[in-house]
Amino acid sequence: MPAGTTHSTAYDGVSYTRGGTVDRADVGVLVQSAADGDAAAWKSLVDGLGPLVWSVVRAHGLSDADAHEVYQTAWFRFAQHLGRIREPEKTGSWLASTARHECLKLIRASKRWTPTDDPQLLDRPSEDRTPEESVLDSEEAAAQTERVRRLWQEFEELGERCRQLLRVLISSPPPSYQEVSAALGIAVGSIGPMRRRCLRRLRARLEARGTI
Amino acid sequence: MSDMNDDFGDEPSDGTFTDEELGTGLLEEELRQAAAILDPVPAGLRQIAVDAFALHDLEARVAELTFDSLVDAIPVRGETDPPRMLTFRADEVTVDVEVTRGRSDRPGAAAGADPDRGAERSAGPCAADGGRHGPVHRRRLTHRPVRAAAADRPGGGRDGWLRA
Repeated sequence: MPAGTTHSTAYDGVSYTRGGTVDRADVGVLVQSAADGDAAAWKSLVDGLGPLVWSVVRAHGLSDADAHEVYQTAWFRFAQHLGRIREPEKTGSWLASTARHECLKLIRASKRWTPTDDPQLLDRPSEDRTPEESVLDSEEAAAQTERVRRLWQEFEELGERCRQLLRVLISSPPPSYQEVSAALGIAVGSIGPMRRRCLRRLRARLEARGTI
Repeated sequence: MSDMNDDFGDEPSDGTFTDEELGTGLLEEELRQAAAILDPVPAGLRQIAVDAFALHDLEARVAELTFDSLVDAIPVRGETDPPRMLTFRADEVTVDVEVTRGRSDRPGAAAGADPDRGAERSAGPCAADGGRHGPVHRRRLTHRPVRAAAADRPGGGRDGWLRA
């Protein structure tokens, strides 16, 4: 059995609930409920799959304006297709794929590739104070804040392919390999090995800087 | 070009689940937390996605029956067979329908009113109880749900189905 498949299975078996509000197994049920008019179910879908859609947009290195446009378009499309989704449990892949195609459309149209290593990003205040941010606000967490910033900086300086793959992989909750495949147009079997190598590379960079 | 760093050919991959493997898993989790802090979905965008739910039934918006004289009206003395008055509402548009007993080809009256403007928006023939727009085709009026189709003018396109 290929290494990627072995790992993929192990990875897919855990932690869909980790860090997120929606268990991936519930997505099909939520989509069904939303199609029947349940606004709360829709909200849960937005919270559970929004970070995945956002990660796809960010992985494609769009400008902020374009990123916002693609994110909205993906959800508008989904809302309009809600009653016609054939495989509700694969909604994550559907959204990821829709977001990817919208990204590619904009990239082709603008014929430019705006780099994501946006120097403003690290200092940009979030519009919303997340619980994590509140923690970081405290004095004791200053060292941790610094570590997070360094980690993010090293991540952003990875090569394009690693940065793309990892950006989607680290959305919350962790996406399935099928969703990552839909998001980036790469074969499911190659995700595991690529993931390992990219994380090793990141670790090496952090070690070289003495961050780990 | 940054892609040059992504040549994966130099690293072995034996697929075993090692301590290093656990380490990369932890690193990934740490990165996930960093993304949640430094690059979250902007709150405004999240709200737009939540609001997009309104689009899901745009083509099949069903008006709510807000008034039915059969159950809501105070009986008028001396009126033994009053017309049944129905009021449907979908967002800012209300449609009043009067259903009368009589000849089966008598047109019913439908009027759409926009309360904000206080003006009548449309008036024309309607049909109740499963008929098509145009003259009323009415079977026995019962408590069963009523369906009506309203059009701007006789023979005009159907604006939408109302159901209650």
